[in-house]
Amino acid sequence: MACRGGGGPGQFPSAVLSRVSPGSLSTYRTHTHNICMVSDFFYPNMGGVESHIYQLSQCLIERGHKVIIVTHAYGNRKGIRYLTNGLKVYYLPLKVMYNQSTATTLFHSLPLLRYIFVRERVTIIHSHSSFSAMAHDALFHAKTMGLQTVFTDHSLFGFADVSSVLTNKLLTVSLCDTNHIICVSYTSKENTVLRAALNPGIVSVIPNAVDPTDFTPDPFRRHDSIITVVVVSRLVYRKGTDLLSGIIPELCQKYPDLNFIIGGEGPKRIILEEVRERYQLHDRVRLLGALEHKDVRNVLVQGHIFLNTSLTEAFCMAIVEAASCGLQVVSTRVGGIPEVLPENLIILCEPSVKSLCEGLEKAISQLKSGALPAPEDIHNIVKTFYTWRNVAERTEKVYDRVAGEAVLPMDRRLDRLISHCGPVTGYIFALLAVVNFLFLVFLRWVTPDSVIDIAIDATGPDGAWTPRYPPSKKEGKNNAMSKTR
Amino acid sequence: MEDEQSFSDICGGRLALQRRYYSPSCREFCISCPRLSLRSLTAVTCTVWLAAYGLFTLCENSIILSAAIFITLLGLLGYLHFVKIDQETLLIIDSLGIQMTSSYASGKESTTFIEMGKVKDVIINEGIYMQKVIYYLCILLKDPVEPHGISQVVPVFQSAKPRLDCLIEVYRSCQEVLAHQKATSASP
Repeated sequence: MACRGGGGPGQFPSAVLSRVSPGSLSTYRTHTHNICMVSDFFYPNMGGVESHIYQLSQCLIERGHKVIIVTHAYGNRKGIRYLTNGLKVYYLPLKVMYNQSTATTLFHSLPLLRYIFVRERVTIIHSHSSFSAMAHDALFHAKTMGLQTVFTDHSLFGFADVSSVLTNKLLTVSLCDTNHIICVSYTSKENTVLRAALNPGIVSVIPNAVDPTDFTPDPFRRHDSIITVVVVSRLVYRKGTDLLSGIIPELCQKYPDLNFIIGGEGPKRIILEEVRERYQLHDRVRLLGALEHKDVRNVLVQGHIFLNTSLTEAFCMAIVEAASCGLQVVSTRVGGIPEVLPENLIILCEPSVKSLCEGLEKAISQLKSGALPAPEDIHNIVKTFYTWRNVAERTEKVYDRVAGEAVLPMDRRLDRLISHCGPVTGYIFALLAVVNFLFLVFLRWVTPDSVIDIAIDATGPDGAWTPRYPPSKKEGKNNAMSKTR
Repeated sequence: MEDEQSFSDICGGRLALQRRYYSPSCREFCISCPRLSLRSLTAVTCTVWLAAYGLFTLCENSIILSAAIFITLLGLLGYLHFVKIDQETLLIIDSLGIQMTSSYASGKESTTFIEMGKVKDVIINEGIYMQKVIYYLCILLKDPVEPHGISQVVPVFQSAKPRLDCLIEVYRSCQEVLAHQKATSASP
């Protein structure tokens, strides 16, 4: 364990997060919630946030809650759609500004969001991702309407450059009166608490999960005569592609039987191609380009070692997926990564070429001496760590807690904004909050809540898609429609 | 048999739904909006004329006043003839088809007929309309090429936009007629 030596004082023990779930055995529940997930990022866009929202919603539906998702229109996909198990998705026609995030004026989305919150009788707004303008808008409107709010942060930020300073200020404003915040790892919690100047008591840690049945090992797919290192990440600066370009030539010279498979696309792909060109490694370094999520497993099972070179990471899903496929993981010790897997399944290195090479060499020597556990064994260990059902159970506890709290009334909210966000920003946003409230009063005057039709539930206790337990009673959508009156 | 019920539209205005049951296989639904009220007519006319008088005092050209009169008259005619729909009727006959009639305030009528062979189903759908999310009744048309596909969605009661409770009444009756049609066409 050479590269793990000298764990600093700020280092967390590699405790597996999902094991810490006191009282998870009791499934007793007092009441169900009407939850509205809001994020700019949802399918058909692909990524970690998208699958998080989808899987979490499915598990909450399974637990009897009503869940709807609000996102913006993706191309031709606009309006209202139903996904598996009656998960209702609103694709709202809002303008996309940058990187699939909508433009925000703080006000223009209020009429539609208010209409949806009223017609779906939403009680808890759960926003995802700090990059999503719509998520922040929804939080702002929900607080104006007096609904409970929860926010999940999926990423880490810096503190130094101008853009981070601005985003952090906005986050402070957005989160200072949010009821509860969820982070995906302890490092992420620390980061968010510092960035947004929050009370750590209202921040919970609930990790992401993987679907272990999607990531099963297949030892026959890999060639044992050679050693294959797999890298699956976007090829961008944040993911440490520059480090990778330093590691490849060094190790390829040292080990003639070492191959690299690199999946992913990005602006840094060019430097990998350069390295491949300069050292004549065309037969040993395969660049696969962009991968679809369903193909990731087929790439992973071809390798023996998974290499992650991220420079910042809140919670690294990729290494859990790789470990679930039975690969030995070598990763940089950054962000929340040390918390994710127990020490015997991961080799942690400093984010430098030298340290990563040492880590890989160690993994290779372990592999050659046969000291690594069998892929099937690793899979069986990892599959118990992170499951969506567990995530949903813990998120439900957050909802239960939030539902019991009071939403700040307008005057206290203004006080909070002014005292919490600094003299200038505080007053500006307090003014905006007042304007937003007046706009809401105007909208309530134009279309009173009583004029808005209550939507027919697809999920939840009275949902048309909820399985009924005396099965003799034939329940279709048409029957359920008649019950609403 | 005929009965009349009062409902409201999605903006809170009043609507009247008349149902005429001629036979189990033939029904008619008629949604009527309130007629153009004298108050709103007066309000619009007054605003246009006051604006015209304002302009007239500024540039002292009497053409503006006569233009205002013409604009009001033509606007009123156009509104009554092309925009304001007083009554929308849905007539469903199981062996023939579905006929939708909208009568304008001027008396003009426009009629669409869909033969039963083309109708796949009548459903209530929800969609985003302006800054609202509303329910609407629509007719699904069969795709002539692919028997299970849908070629077109025809919305019904487009101008009245009744609320869900009214739509459910119409929907149930339409489903009864469609079920009757399926039963009779399957039996021989």
